[in-house]
Amino acid sequence: MNRIEQKMALLREKNEKALMTYIIAGLPGIEETKELVKAQEKAGTDVIGLKIPFSDPVADGPVVQKASYQSICLGTTVKKVFQMTKELRSEGVFVPIVFLLYYNTILHYGIKEFVGKCKESGVDAVIVPDLPLEEQEELQNALKESEHTILIQMISKVSKERIPSILEHAKGFVYCTSSMGTIGQAKTVDIKEISKIPVLAEFEEHNMGQIKIIKEAVDGVIVGSDFIQLLEENDYCIETAKEYCKSLKQIL
Amino acid sequence: MNSKAYYGRFGGQFVAESLMNTLEELDEVFENAIKDPEFIKQCQYYLKQYVGRETPLYYAKRLSETYGTKIYLKREDLNHTGAHKINNVIGQILLAKRMGKKKVIAETGAGQHGVATATGAALFELECTVFMGEEDMRRQELNVMRMKMLGANVVCVRSGSNTLKDATNEAIRTWAKSAEDTFYVIGSAVGPYPYPKIVKEFQSVISREAKQQFMETEHRLPDVVMACVGGGSNSIGMFAEFIEEKGVELIGVEAAGKGIETGEHAAAMALGEIGTLHGMCSYLLQDENGNIKLAHSISAGLDYPGVGPEHAYLKDIKRAEYVSVTDQEAMDALMELCRLEGIIPAIESAHAIAYAMKKAKTMTMNQAMIVCLSGRGDKDVHTIADYLAQKEYMN
Repeated sequence: MNRIEQKMALLREKNEKALMTYIIAGLPGIEETKELVKAQEKAGTDVIGLKIPFSDPVADGPVVQKASYQSICLGTTVKKVFQMTKELRSEGVFVPIVFLLYYNTILHYGIKEFVGKCKESGVDAVIVPDLPLEEQEELQNALKESEHTILIQMISKVSKERIPSILEHAKGFVYCTSSMGTIGQAKTVDIKEISKIPVLAEFEEHNMGQIKIIKEAVDGVIVGSDFIQLLEENDYCIETAKEYCKSLKQIL
Repeated sequence: MNSKAYYGRFGGQFVAESLMNTLEELDEVFENAIKDPEFIKQCQYYLKQYVGRETPLYYAKRLSETYGTKIYLKREDLNHTGAHKINNVIGQILLAKRMGKKKVIAETGAGQHGVATATGAALFELECTVFMGEEDMRRQELNVMRMKMLGANVVCVRSGSNTLKDATNEAIRTWAKSAEDTFYVIGSAVGPYPYPKIVKEFQSVISREAKQQFMETEHRLPDVVMACVGGGSNSIGMFAEFIEEKGVELIGVEAAGKGIETGEHAAAMALGEIGTLHGMCSYLLQDENGNIKLAHSISAGLDYPGVGPEHAYLKDIKRAEYVSVTDQEAMDALMELCRLEGIIPAIESAHAIAYAMKKAKTMTMNQAMIVCLSGRGDKDVHTIADYLAQKEYMN
């Protein structure tokens, strides 16, 4: 079983909500990113996302755009992040790791080569915000063949009648984009009702109170840009990262 | 895979899940509209009475005699707002109205598409926001002023290269958040399907007219049809009616900037690798890590690192040939056209003129070519002045 699926099964058994946090890979440097991953794992984060910086992050807001640009300027590449992940695995990091990246990064790397490298480096899932169901075939075929990494499906508040077919292809967990969590709590409940796998909703804003309210409607939450901003404001302090993840896990 | 979204291996819909229903709705409305006689009549009315079509197919006599073949210019520069961009805007704004949208957004490079969209929005009482890179706002100050006068809100984009690519990113972000009441008027033959098809449909009026006009004068088909290519809207419109006419040579002219070998250019098809950007799979300028490279061209309208998917396909099947000319060649051609014909072309269009001059030398006076003069150069006077001062051209 995939490491994410294992984790989700375990959480369900313990009746716990899942916490996924993600950061920009390579900020403030590759070594520091490793320390940040370890800190998140220690603090109890269930799934850790590494955002591979891309020059044109059309699906991201200003915080991620700015941070991605900084990371590219520091020389972060997908190759380096693969190497880093491999090292993390050999250093005993066991938490599920997800790459968040744009499709062009995969295409440019070569789909087969990319999928092979995911397996080799211990990447458990990929989240590709510009790859809707209709365009997934090639990547899915390669992923199926490798029997290691899974593609996380995204659902938005306006997916409507597309939801059943998306869920049909979903593995690990379903990723509900932020606008849905904040606007349509009822809709998230709908998805949860028909989804056989856990439903995680993204939160963009720093609003612990809202997480408290929404958590009942979902199986877990995803926090990215708020965390990325906090890290930037606190000089990528390891302790801050730990405290932040701990407090989120506690609320859940 | 949605096969109708593809031109060979190019095209597709590489967008966030949240836009997929929007694209499907757009596709449905568009396909119905272009079969609806009422819609077609409406388009034709505005193109004639408001835009001023049809545009002349002008025989450039002195240019022809100087370069040794018959050169006809399709005068899109004579359209209202100064370029071909308005053809597509009229069509898309009418679609927006049909869909009941209250707001339109657009990206712009040279500002021509922004001005055209602001114009259409004023005409049809829609709220209009135009995204424009900071660098382009500086280069195209006059067009920024025009958009503001027309009531548009111009948003200055400061990210990445501060040009068309980044303005497009910002427009897509805004659209993804507001598609329920907002129509995204894409100005070039790029983006997720059905946009490349929509833009081609509304720009193909260029070649429909040109073909008929040419037949009336010459009683045959032209040997060569040529247009400049940034994203590829005037060129796909200029090619459309000739694609099936296999005897007609189609040539697209990209911007080689300071020269392909310098790396500072915008010729996505010269060296471009296949990739995905702005919702489509096409040829793109990329670095060794798959990040999109900055394009360079003296012309803001060609300063784009990608190209429309149908052009990529036409190149692949060898139906069209894509070449490139440098900033300097384009500026020389611009000045030459001013002197020979009394026409100040847009710097974008001057790229096509520059290659037409080269191509003409391989042709005879019994042959003929049509060049799309996509826009007028009034907007470029500052850039031209700077360029000439730097080159001491007049001396």
